[in-house]
Amino acid sequence: MYSTKYVKPNSTTEALEAIKSLSEGKFLAGGMTLIPTLKQRLASPDGLVDISGCKLDSIADEGETLKIGAMARHISVAESAVVKMAIPALAKLADGIGDRQVRNRGTLGGSVANNDPSACYPSAVLALKATVHTSNRSLAADDFFTGMFETALEEDEIIESISFLKPTKANYVKFPNPASRYAMVGVFVAQFGDEVRVAVTGAGEGGVFRHQEMESALSSNFSADSLSSVNIVSDGLISDLHASAEYRANLIKEMTKRAVA
Amino acid sequence: MDIKDSYELPLPKERIWAALNDEEFLKKSIPWCEKLERRSETELAAEVKLKIGPMSTRFTGSITLSDIDPPNGYTITGSGKGGIAGAASGSAKVKLVEAKDTSSTTLSYEVSAQVKGKIAQLGSRLIQSTAKKLSQNFFGSFVKQLEDMDKPQ
Repeated sequence: MYSTKYVKPNSTTEALEAIKSLSEGKFLAGGMTLIPTLKQRLASPDGLVDISGCKLDSIADEGETLKIGAMARHISVAESAVVKMAIPALAKLADGIGDRQVRNRGTLGGSVANNDPSACYPSAVLALKATVHTSNRSLAADDFFTGMFETALEEDEIIESISFLKPTKANYVKFPNPASRYAMVGVFVAQFGDEVRVAVTGAGEGGVFRHQEMESALSSNFSADSLSSVNIVSDGLISDLHASAEYRANLIKEMTKRAVA
Repeated sequence: MDIKDSYELPLPKERIWAALNDEEFLKKSIPWCEKLERRSETELAAEVKLKIGPMSTRFTGSITLSDIDPPNGYTITGSGKGGIAGAASGSAKVKLVEAKDTSSTTLSYEVSAQVKGKIAQLGSRLIQSTAKKLSQNFFGSFVKQLEDMDKPQ
């Protein structure tokens, strides 16, 4: 056993002060990754700053964008009438994360800040040209994700909300691991007029990434057929006990075809 | 597990070999190395704090050099225990091959890594990617240090 402090501030300002008073403190969002990690003793921070009391769970349609608070639970996004109306693909994505227990606790901000290479949300952030609003700045999705489990976030920075740009149309299709429901490969396709963005999660060794070849193929012809000639290379893809890199490369194309079909 | 890569450096083989045997150089190259002390010609004591995603574990262990063939290469093996989290070890076969005109040297490496215990259970899907990333970090910063030193002042 070791002791750890737990605090639950009422605002992000207080949360930032609390983290400064700890030497190796951690922000706690939904805890769906952090708590199992602590139980396994794979991390032993000297304190947890629970940000669930910081009122960061609002969901608002702001015209061109849909703004979702970082502490919005997956279940809230999945069931929100506002999300279903503005970006139905995002509600669908949230509805497919983990199991019911995870969806009841897990949060948008927690998933995005953790940037697990197999998490669903980062693909939506990247494909929907989202802007990540933190406690001190706003970051474009393209600058936010920097590698496996790595983001542009500083240790003492909190995601407050994320603004997703409303697409003309969008879809998310994943091939879930049957046990964990993590994406073995997940593809988020978003069309903005002539522009198409394709973000792939679950497959890249560096975490979520955009697939330029498929983006340009779909920009000129938005159909599953246009993808047939695209070659998906397996270099840089994850190879683990669940699937080889080659298998994942094949899944990327298959999931993208299903997403645009 | 099959992680390989190589770098071409505009330096003579002896220079790189000297750096490969300089613990200050190694310390700066090992990602998150907090302590590195030479115990003998071939053994160093090390403390590394590994941070991957939500995991953050301090490993204490040793680094040994074997198959030493100056100045052509060696095998560098690191193994450490992370307390209740488990244990990790990895070794890299490093080879130096000088170009015929001696203007450059190619450093190539081949890594194998193993993890045991809880860290293996929880992180199994990420071990390959993590080992690759750590190898790239190590050799990347090793090469960068050499290049920086070589820059004209």
